[in-house]
Amino acid sequence: MFHWLEKNPFFFSVGVFIVIAFAGLIEILPNFAEASRPVQGLKPYTVLELAGKEVYKKDNCMSCHSQMIRPFKSETDRYGQYSLSGEYAYDRPFLWGSKRTGPDLHRVGNYRTTDWHETHMFEPTAVVPSSIMPAYKHHFTNIADIETAYAEAFTVKAVFNTPYDVEGGVKLGTWEEAQKMALAEAKLITADMKNKNVKDAVESGKIPEIVALIAYLNRLK
Amino acid sequence: MQSNAALEYDYSIAKLFTYTTILFGILGMIVGTLIASQLAFPELNYLLGEYGTFSRLRPVHTTVVIFGFTLSGVFATFYYVAQRVLKVSMAESKFLMVIGKIHFWLYFVGALLATISLLLGFTAGKEYAQYEWPIDIVIVIVWVLWGVSLFGIIGIRREKSLYISLWYYIACFLGVAMLYLFNNMEVPTALVSGYGNIMHSVSMYSGTNDALVQWWWGHNAVAFVFTVPIVAMIYYFLPKESGQAIYSYKLSLLSFWGLMFVYLWAGSHHLLYSPVPDWMQTMGSIFSIVLILPSWGSAINMLLTMKGEWNQLTENPLIKFMVLASTFYMLSTLEGPIQAIKSVNAIAHFTDWIPGHVHDGVLGWVVFMIMAAIFHMTPRMFKREIYSRKLLESQFWLQTVAVVLYFTSMWIAGITQGMMWRAVDEYGNLMYSFIDTVTVLHPYYAIRALSGVLYLVGFLMFAFNIYKTITASKRLEEEPQFKTPMA
Amino acid sequence: MEIRELQAYANFFFTMFLVFLLYGYIVHLYRSEKKGERDYEKYADMALHDEISDAPVDVNPKTLDKKGKE
Repeated sequence: MFHWLEKNPFFFSVGVFIVIAFAGLIEILPNFAEASRPVQGLKPYTVLELAGKEVYKKDNCMSCHSQMIRPFKSETDRYGQYSLSGEYAYDRPFLWGSKRTGPDLHRVGNYRTTDWHETHMFEPTAVVPSSIMPAYKHHFTNIADIETAYAEAFTVKAVFNTPYDVEGGVKLGTWEEAQKMALAEAKLITADMKNKNVKDAVESGKIPEIVALIAYLNRLK
Repeated sequence: MQSNAALEYDYSIAKLFTYTTILFGILGMIVGTLIASQLAFPELNYLLGEYGTFSRLRPVHTTVVIFGFTLSGVFATFYYVAQRVLKVSMAESKFLMVIGKIHFWLYFVGALLATISLLLGFTAGKEYAQYEWPIDIVIVIVWVLWGVSLFGIIGIRREKSLYISLWYYIACFLGVAMLYLFNNMEVPTALVSGYGNIMHSVSMYSGTNDALVQWWWGHNAVAFVFTVPIVAMIYYFLPKESGQAIYSYKLSLLSFWGLMFVYLWAGSHHLLYSPVPDWMQTMGSIFSIVLILPSWGSAINMLLTMKGEWNQLTENPLIKFMVLASTFYMLSTLEGPIQAIKSVNAIAHFTDWIPGHVHDGVLGWVVFMIMAAIFHMTPRMFKREIYSRKLLESQFWLQTVAVVLYFTSMWIAGITQGMMWRAVDEYGNLMYSFIDTVTVLHPYYAIRALSGVLYLVGFLMFAFNIYKTITASKRLEEEPQFKTPMA
Repeated sequence: MEIRELQAYANFFFTMFLVFLLYGYIVHLYRSEKKGERDYEKYADMALHDEISDAPVDVNPKTLDKKGKE
């Protein structure tokens, strides 16, 4: 039997496939339903926050920052309550990261402000003198892609039943409505900001990436 | 079909992939050295504006070395080795030649586009699976084409039994196909909603599920790209170069099945202490430790193949490359399981020890093995001897020193930072702010950057040596049988 | 809960099955060699005799027609 397998490439491949697929079947599939349940009170991201998440992803913040607080005292002291599975229910993709060149950000909204983020993104060493993080000045001039963020919210609502437009929840609405809401949300953030160009841009109806990013970071709690 | 007298192995596709191996190798290592230097000297982040920050370049580095350099090397050696162990020439089948050519060109263009898309910031956001969905589709087609080549050449073989190297190539094909498909299940948002950028998608899985699928892939991408096909290479090139039969063919078969079974379970060791179920974490830990057995099975088999022939180590620098490669394979397959022990992982996770571990594996094992394979193949493909033995020897020592500098500095950096994060004073308060644990790493980051430079220089020496071999070296009358001739 | 139980049983039995298979394989490898039915080590030097004119260790009957070698 074994020898026969060694001479029959097709059945050999089937054999290899069964052996390697086994782990996935057992380990991953059966847990799916359970692990995708949100914690109570978790709301989906607003369009502006999604646009910010897109900026976070685009500039790969997760290559240096985790969003996963492990259940150790040294971590809960530093970053807050340890992370729960249900808190990530609306994260597609997940952004846990695998390396902390900088600190964890899962609850950064609890202890950093709009103002702090603004200064920090423009020039990290202005608030953390020996920081090795690069400055992200281009976030202040690049315009966030609200349309793609809307497309994402629309998609997760349509395909995965993410609860937008429910009683007491986050409203998504049509593209026109979503634009207005995102702009209103952006204005709340720029009220706490100093950069003149960013404020002007938002007044004229454009949302720079930094505003969306701060909306996202403030939401991480 | 040609007459038997004229029948020769056809290396045209192996040659093409050899060129891209070198090209992507240089590219990936330049980026790698740059981002390593950025951590030590942050001013280097601003060389290319928005496109030159550490964060934007890091996935470029990883994907270029994984999918550019390593896969090119895998394909190059495959198109070389498969013909030889099956005793059939690519030239015997027009169909396979055409498929092989399409495979190469689609791969090459795809890899360039993929790299550019990452620079522009189109990313699916999961490590080593960053490509957006249109590029994923190209990758799937490339992979299918390789499958056609792989099973096509097996279909017309003269040798009935498949040599162990081919087992590993088949496993590489199947493993990557399965994992890549499942991990890259995405929904393109523009197609569903009619709004926004076409280069955007959301993952089919959310949160914890996504993490599980991702590390099932992430870890096993290491298995099926950095381990399995490289083992395939060493099983062919070490015996061939040394003229020694494999020490125990039975052991190689056993290690194969052991590796296949155990590797896939180990993925969850990337998620220790995260909110994935405990039993999965424990399973990941246990299987990671079991994994030492099949890994060492192959490595020891290779070292024992040299039994009684250790003098070759001084006579043939290529043997040196391969013996060092299997030694580093043993080191990193011991180090990995150690890091997967929960209490060790509590310190090591999120620190620089992890990139340290990855790099003693890839720099010491993967790159050394691929370079040795190319040194072995080039004189046979181009019928010329290696241009310079001296250059080869100095490259060997330069890169060996570089690898040692890399992993020692990262071990120290990782453990230092891991300990500082958890250090408390007598009242139980944290002793260090986060930035303290970063500034302390500066010397180690600087050493790492230096090791990157050394390694890159070594690789350029390799590229130069191969270039000169192809263009200006002494011609060989007939194919060398075992030891590769060099000037 | 039910899927969990199923998962546990499937895991246990399939793992046992594969372990059994692996050990069976070891026994097979050594026994068939001892009995002289099969010599696995003859494949160990396949890489060394890989010229296109070398004789295959096991000839593939499907390509016999193509071959004009000794």
